[in-house]
Amino acid sequence: MAVIPPDRRAFLRDAGCGFGSLALAALLAEDGLVAADAAAPDPLAPKKPHHEPTAKRVIFLFMSGGPSHVDTWDPKPELTRLHGEKLPASFGPVKTRRGVDKNKLLASKRTFKKHGQSGTEVSDWFPHTAGCVDDICVLRGCHGDSVTHPESVYLVNTGSILMGRPSLGAWATYGLGTENRNMPAFVVMPDPGGWPKGGAPAWGNGFLPATYQGTVVRGGAAPIQHLPTPPGVTAEQQRRTLDFVAEGNREHLAARGGDTELAARIAAYELAFRMQAHAPEVVDLAKETAETKGLYGLDRPETAEFGTRCLLARRMVERGVRFVQLYCGDTGGWDAHSDLDANHGKLCLQSDKPVAGLLTDLKRRGLLKDTLVVWGGEFGRTPMTEGANGRDHNPHGFTMWLAGGGVKGGQVIGATDPIGLRAADGKAHANDLHATILHLLGFNHKKLTFRHNGRSERLTDNGGEVIDAALA
Amino acid sequence: MPTPLPRRLALAVLLAAAGPGRADPPADHWAWKRPARPPVPAGAAHPIDAFVRAKLKDAGLTPAPPASREQLIRRVTFDLHGLPPTPEEVDAFVKDTAADAWEKVVDRLLASPRYGERWARHWLDIARYADTNGYEFDEPRPDAWRFRDYVVRSFNADKPYDRFVTEQLAGDEAFPGDPDAVVATGFNLLGPDMTDSADQAQRRYNTLTDMTDTAGLAFLGLTVTCARCHDHKFEPITQADYFRLQAFFTPAAFRKDVPVATAAEKAKHEAAATEYARLTKDLRDAVAAIEAPVRQRLYEAKLAKLSVDAQAAHRTPPEKRDGGQLELVAETERKVVVTDAEVAKAIPAADQARLAELQKQLKLFDAKKPAPPPVAMGLTDRPGPPAKTHLLGRGDLKSPSDEVRPGFPEVLTGGKAVDAKVEALPASTGRRLALARWVASADNPLTARVVVNRLWQHHFGRGIVATASDFGLRGERPTHPELLDWLAREFADRGWSLKTMHRLMLTSETYRQSTRVSPEAAAKDPDNHLVSRMNRLRLEGEAVRDTLLAVSGRLNPKAGGPGVVLPETARASGGARPVSATADAQEHLRRSVYLFSRRNLRHPFLEAFDLPDSNLSCSRRERSTTAPQALALLNADEAMAAAKATADRVAKEAATEAGRVDRAYRLILGRPPSAKEAERATAFLCLSPLSELCRALFNLNEFVYLD
Repeated sequence: MAVIPPDRRAFLRDAGCGFGSLALAALLAEDGLVAADAAAPDPLAPKKPHHEPTAKRVIFLFMSGGPSHVDTWDPKPELTRLHGEKLPASFGPVKTRRGVDKNKLLASKRTFKKHGQSGTEVSDWFPHTAGCVDDICVLRGCHGDSVTHPESVYLVNTGSILMGRPSLGAWATYGLGTENRNMPAFVVMPDPGGWPKGGAPAWGNGFLPATYQGTVVRGGAAPIQHLPTPPGVTAEQQRRTLDFVAEGNREHLAARGGDTELAARIAAYELAFRMQAHAPEVVDLAKETAETKGLYGLDRPETAEFGTRCLLARRMVERGVRFVQLYCGDTGGWDAHSDLDANHGKLCLQSDKPVAGLLTDLKRRGLLKDTLVVWGGEFGRTPMTEGANGRDHNPHGFTMWLAGGGVKGGQVIGATDPIGLRAADGKAHANDLHATILHLLGFNHKKLTFRHNGRSERLTDNGGEVIDAALA
Repeated sequence: MPTPLPRRLALAVLLAAAGPGRADPPADHWAWKRPARPPVPAGAAHPIDAFVRAKLKDAGLTPAPPASREQLIRRVTFDLHGLPPTPEEVDAFVKDTAADAWEKVVDRLLASPRYGERWARHWLDIARYADTNGYEFDEPRPDAWRFRDYVVRSFNADKPYDRFVTEQLAGDEAFPGDPDAVVATGFNLLGPDMTDSADQAQRRYNTLTDMTDTAGLAFLGLTVTCARCHDHKFEPITQADYFRLQAFFTPAAFRKDVPVATAAEKAKHEAAATEYARLTKDLRDAVAAIEAPVRQRLYEAKLAKLSVDAQAAHRTPPEKRDGGQLELVAETERKVVVTDAEVAKAIPAADQARLAELQKQLKLFDAKKPAPPPVAMGLTDRPGPPAKTHLLGRGDLKSPSDEVRPGFPEVLTGGKAVDAKVEALPASTGRRLALARWVASADNPLTARVVVNRLWQHHFGRGIVATASDFGLRGERPTHPELLDWLAREFADRGWSLKTMHRLMLTSETYRQSTRVSPEAAAKDPDNHLVSRMNRLRLEGEAVRDTLLAVSGRLNPKAGGPGVVLPETARASGGARPVSATADAQEHLRRSVYLFSRRNLRHPFLEAFDLPDSNLSCSRRERSTTAPQALALLNADEAMAAAKATADRVAKEAATEAGRVDRAYRLILGRPPSAKEAERATAFLCLSPLSELCRALFNLNEFVYLD
């Protein structure tokens, strides 16, 4: 039998001192208001974090497959100079997935130019995003722990290369709850071409309650699983059936002394009904202007698909969804082991205008200041060539970027070595990135914890330093 | 956060807990000491009632009155079977005036094979069971189900728990020649596995870590995980303790192909295979002479289309491939598969007639072709001297330091590091057997307590120790320590029989209490730690799905065998290997425990009802009340199909509308409707079809919460 939930006491203690005390403070504050009527347990009720957050919500643009940093955000003149030569011995042994360490160095064919007031250098593959660099904080010193896709996808999403830990989005909704109960708190929009390598555990709840896992949302009339009324059941019938359920449940509850869990389940049905009415509106773009649609590239075949998902992301955060994650690139995605120019050229074209459109739109609506946008993949790519014109996985050094939500834009933090092989300065591990994101959301990453199998688990495991320079 | 507790109490307890001196000194912790058999307090005929009432009395409380017979039979049937009682079973019990009516129900339920299917699921949660590997390719584990069936069989047979433990840790060493015991060792390999890892040494170490951690949690309620990287911060478990524990597993080979045929089956198979080979040799040679060159040519043509590196990877013998090559092969192997259809098409015209004739003749022998003998996932020790186990700095494979030998955590062996007494066996090191003997012993302070507490948790909704896999210092303290110890001793003394313990718990009056809360109990025992009433139990996803099938008369009761692949789990995404949906639609209507469980894509309906992630041992499921869960029970195909089929059934079984309303309530809720409910249902049916009434009843709180 499913057992009753753990004690609130245990929860608060397990949640760590800081969080527990705050939760306690919140309890005390609420106590006067709700003393007469014990509040229904609502795991997604909005909650206050440890400190005043600068980001209230997150949009994570995940570039599935691992985009090449040396062709996009990290110009390497030295790599151009050494083109065609072997990796100098001074770099020592290097581990890659396909054993390309003995291969020749491959210069980027891209042209980099300085953009904006900040002069951040961006390759010509991102002409639109380049226009937003003054809002973007580029992290060029990112590094990971594995040369394989699924492990690295899990690392960037869950802080560990082992599968089964809760994802960043799950931790964020666990800590903050959500402001829009008519939509899932943590929405995932995978690429229609295929899920990332590693699959759904990338947005899983791990050992956190299932309530906090990412919900896959698609466009159209059935954006969420089980949302549409069953075939052959009219809207009126659905309402009648729900009314019958509600009346039966109220009587049942009244005879059982106000059991809060029973009350919560009644509330869940009301919420489900509202979700049925509300969710299709969230994913309906009919009311968006042609100008807005154009901004995201909905008017062009190559950008329409990702542009649509970026626009949906804005509509969701606008309506209080806490965490939205978009995957750009199908199962292969940016994994350009061969013909990098063709692979990345296509994906950059597909994503550049939508990403720039999203940043621009968020900013003009006043949403960017408290919406954090994260861009990056599971790793970067090697400066060494694979085959004639590809690049292998490179977790040793790569680029991600942050914008909005209290991030100091118009700057570059960290650097790889002269050829882009390894992070050299301002190194940022996934744990550091997560610590920083949680900080922006108002949490001390060491204190946002959950007790599981005897251990107070946290997103950043035993690591993680907030990247102070990234904060505005 | 899943915490529906009266907040005033939460505040009080929180403030109290903030004070100092909560825990024993680490070495003195209650759970490290062997349980004594405490005297049963006076005041009740049943020992459990005596222990519980003594505490109630101290608190100035009395037990809740008994639940109604309708409530009781529904409660215990779900508890033991995960299915509802039929209306006829309810009636029979309600009318049975015999003094032992209740005992008869309990015995009937325990004797049914449905019991094992239900309780196996609890163990499979702890065992992190799934039918795939996880990570990118999420390959099916074609023989994992044998472990699931082993667990079902073990529960149904009331296998003594000490044997159940021994089989899972060391079945190959303890019971050589017993196929079930080998299948049992698959327990250790059920975690996720990245088969194409770039670092195969690390992969093996990850699996070793997973099996060490899981054994600690499952059998001992001990959380050793933290001690892999450093001495445990909160428990008296050192890093040396951790690696001594791991050393029991170090000699093992992690196998997917342990033969599990009995000697007789093996002999039969070999004879049949030899006979088939003899009978068909000429025919097969003749077929191969035509097909093989064609097949090879097609394969080479396909291979030539791959990258140079991929070709080289395929041409490298499997055992010599490096991590990158393993991945390349995994990614491209389907591109070089040559199907029989392709071969048939490419056979030169001149050979086609002759080939067809040969194949026709060969087919005549199909009935004589034996199926491959069964294999299972499991452990057997690798031949030769075992690899050394080293304490690893920060748990990192690259930082080996002192060598350690197999041994038990010091805190459980009198504070001294003692090497385990390992006796080498003819074909095995005997290490895991030494571990199993120590774990499955009445002298072990944890094993019996942990398992009786798990039983208690499922029966009563909360463990005597609420943290069922954590009996350490940071775990919850027992609410009834004497009762826990008494149960643990009783369990070991009565032959480690789980059914005996079920019977003991279920025949207590404590179990048969109502869920009603008196004002006194609400004030003095708001969280029911004293069991002053029965906790309201809630159906898990499997019980909900199985009940939808059962009530609507569609449940296929077939037991055992490979996992049933539903169309929604057949689909694969993100590089995961596809599996074929089970073709026979009748199979789709089997109990949830028999569904193929994919690591990278949980079954959507069960997932909405808190099916746990299968990557980590889960001792306690969440019971969430979310909107997606409401949507699932309202709108999912599972619910709608059940509503329609139940309506058809009800229409057949009752002639009048009143009769149909009555029947629907009895089938779905296990009781007749009240007059008011009957009236409301009749009014509802003016505008709504009977199937909608059934769908509404499935969605009531009463359907998923048991009084």
